[in-house]
Amino acid sequence: MAAPRLTRRAFLRLMLLAGIGGGLAIAERQTRPVGLRTFLQWTLRGWRRRVEPPAVVALGASLSYDENLLRDALAELWAQADMPDVSGRRVLVKPNLIEWIEGRPLVTAPEVVGAVVDLLRSRGAEVVIGEGPGFRRDAGPVVAQSGLGAVLARRNVPFVDLNYDDPRPVPPRDGWFPGRSRLWLPRHVVEADLIVSVAKLKTHHWAGVTLSLKNLFGVVPGICYGWPKNMLHVNGITPSILGLKQTLPPVVSVIDGIIGMEGDGPLFGTPVPHGVLLVGRDPLAVDITGARLMGFEPEEIEHLSLGMWAGIGQGIRIETRGASMEALRRRYQPPPK
Amino acid sequence: MIRIVSAYRFLENAQNPDGGWGYRPGGRSTVEPTGAALLALADLPESPALAPARLWLERAQHPDGGWGIHLEDPESHWCTAWGVLALLRLDPVAPPALRGVRWLLQASAIRIQADELTAEVRRIFGIDPTLRGWPWRPGEASWVEPTALALLALHVASAAADHRDRIEEAIRYLVDRRCQGGGWNFGNPFMLGAYLPPRPHPTAWALLALQALAPDAIRPEDIEALRSEMHRDGGALALALGIMALQAFGVEDPIARERLEMLQQPDGSWEGNPYVTALALRALNGGWPWRRRG
Repeated sequence: MAAPRLTRRAFLRLMLLAGIGGGLAIAERQTRPVGLRTFLQWTLRGWRRRVEPPAVVALGASLSYDENLLRDALAELWAQADMPDVSGRRVLVKPNLIEWIEGRPLVTAPEVVGAVVDLLRSRGAEVVIGEGPGFRRDAGPVVAQSGLGAVLARRNVPFVDLNYDDPRPVPPRDGWFPGRSRLWLPRHVVEADLIVSVAKLKTHHWAGVTLSLKNLFGVVPGICYGWPKNMLHVNGITPSILGLKQTLPPVVSVIDGIIGMEGDGPLFGTPVPHGVLLVGRDPLAVDITGARLMGFEPEEIEHLSLGMWAGIGQGIRIETRGASMEALRRRYQPPPK
Repeated sequence: MIRIVSAYRFLENAQNPDGGWGYRPGGRSTVEPTGAALLALADLPESPALAPARLWLERAQHPDGGWGIHLEDPESHWCTAWGVLALLRLDPVAPPALRGVRWLLQASAIRIQADELTAEVRRIFGIDPTLRGWPWRPGEASWVEPTALALLALHVASAAADHRDRIEEAIRYLVDRRCQGGGWNFGNPFMLGAYLPPRPHPTAWALLALQALAPDAIRPEDIEALRSEMHRDGGALALALGIMALQAFGVEDPIARERLEMLQQPDGSWEGNPYVTALALRALNGGWPWRRRG
C-alpha cells in the first residue's frame, strides 16, 4: 500500500498548527511562574478597564489634625467619593502603625483614624481597628506612644494586634502568590465585610511609595510569617501587594497626607506638611492619585504600573472630586536606592 | 506587689480543653503560648495543666519532627524551637523533643554566596549574607529571633557540642547582625544608608542565646541597649524578656521589675494574654529556666 501523500494544504495546516503550538509553548514559558491563562486574564482585565466607568477619588485640601475640621472634611469626602454603605457591616479599619520613632511622621495620624471610626459608626458599622506591625513584636507600645491608644479609648473601640489574631487559611486569588495553596490571614481580616485601609502618604525605599495598597502588608500575621513578614519579600513586594488586594475582602482607602513623609521612608523620612486627605473606593485609583500628588507618575512605581496593566482596579480612568489636583501637587524627595 | 499565685491560676484557667493555650483565653491553641505556658507552669510539678499540655504538643508535632503554629498548620517552621524547649522543660530526654532538634538541624535558610550578590547585599544591608542562622520559615532568609530560639533549643537539648559548625555559624550570624551601638533589630542592622535601632525583643533573645553558648561575644553596649530599649518600649512583653535576659547576666533592674509588676491585671494576667503572662511569670519568678553549661 502506498504511503499517504502529504498535500500542500495539509502541509500548510501542519505548519500552522506547529506555529500555534510553538507560540503557545513560548508564551507559557515567558509567563512563568503565573502561566499563560492567568497572564491573559490580567491582560484582558487591564484592557477592559479602558472602557469601564472611571473611579472616583475625593481630595481634601488645607487640612489639619483638628478633630472637628477632620470630621466635617471626611464626611464630605466620603459622600463625594460615593463610598459604600457600611450599615450593619463588620468593618476593619487598618491604619499604618509599622513602628514608632519619635519625631518621624511614619504612622497614620490617630486623629484621622478617630475620624474614620466616628464616621463609620455614625453610619451603623461595627468597627474594629487592626494592625500587625512589621517591626514590632508587640503593637501595644506603638498604639500607646503614637497617641492612637487614647483616641481609641475615648471611643471605646477595640484594637486587635493582627500579628497574633487567630490565623485562618485562605486560598490566594488571582495568581499573585504562585506555588502557594494557602495564605494565613487573621480572623478579623477574613471575617470583615469591608477593610478601610487608612494609610499614610509617604515614600518607601523598596516600593517607591507606601499608600493604601502597600499598607495591606500589615494584615499578614507575624506568628505565621515572622517579623518583618519575610514571605512577602520572598514572593516579591509587587506581586504580594497586588495579591493581598485581590485575596482580601473588599478594600477601600483613606490616605492621611496632612503631614506626609519624603525621602528615606517608610521609617526615616522627613515630614512634608501637605494638608491633603484622599478618599476612594478603588485603592489603585486612590494610590495613583496619591503618588501623583507626591510628584511620581504611576509608571515609576512598579506595583502601580503593574496593577494598572493587570486591571486590579481602575487605574486608567480616574475622576478626582473636591480640591484641585494640580494645586496640590508637590515634588517629594524620592527614597534612596 | 506581684501576685504569683493568681498569675499561675490565670494560666491554668486559660488552658483550652484540648490542653494548649492561645494568645488569649479561649483563643485557638498555638505552639508559642503553649510552650511559654509550660516553661512557667513546670515550676508546679503537681499542676493538672502539665500532662494535657504535653499531649497537645506531642499531637501538634509533624511527622518530620517540626511544629507549625497550631494543629491545622501543616508546615514546620520557627515554632519548632518552642516545641523543643517546652518538652525538654518537662523531660530533659523527651524523644519528640529530640526529633524536633533533628528538624532544626536540617532546616534550610538562604545563604548568598555569589560574589556580586554578596557585595550588593553588603552595600544595602551592611551584613555578611554568607552566614546562616535560622529563618522564620524554611528556605527564607535568617532572622535574629528564630536564630536565637533555635540556638537556645539546641543548647537545652545538649546538642550544641555535636553540631559545632552549625552553631558557630549561627553565633557568627548574630554577631554580624549586631546594631551599631549594641543590641539587635529583627535582622539587618543597616538599610540603604540608615542604621536601624535595636529592638528589645530580638535583643533579649539574642542575649539569652549568646549567654548560653558564646558569652565572650557579648559587649557591654548590648546589655545597655536592651536596658534602654525595654524601658522605651514599656510593654509587658519587652519588660519580661528584658528582665529575663538581664538576669542571665546577673543584672537586676528593679525599675523594670516594678514597671512589670504594675502592669499585672486584677485577674493575675498580663494583658489577658497567656503568652505574655507566662514570660512575665518567668521573669519575676526565677528567670530563664536554663543556665549555661561549662
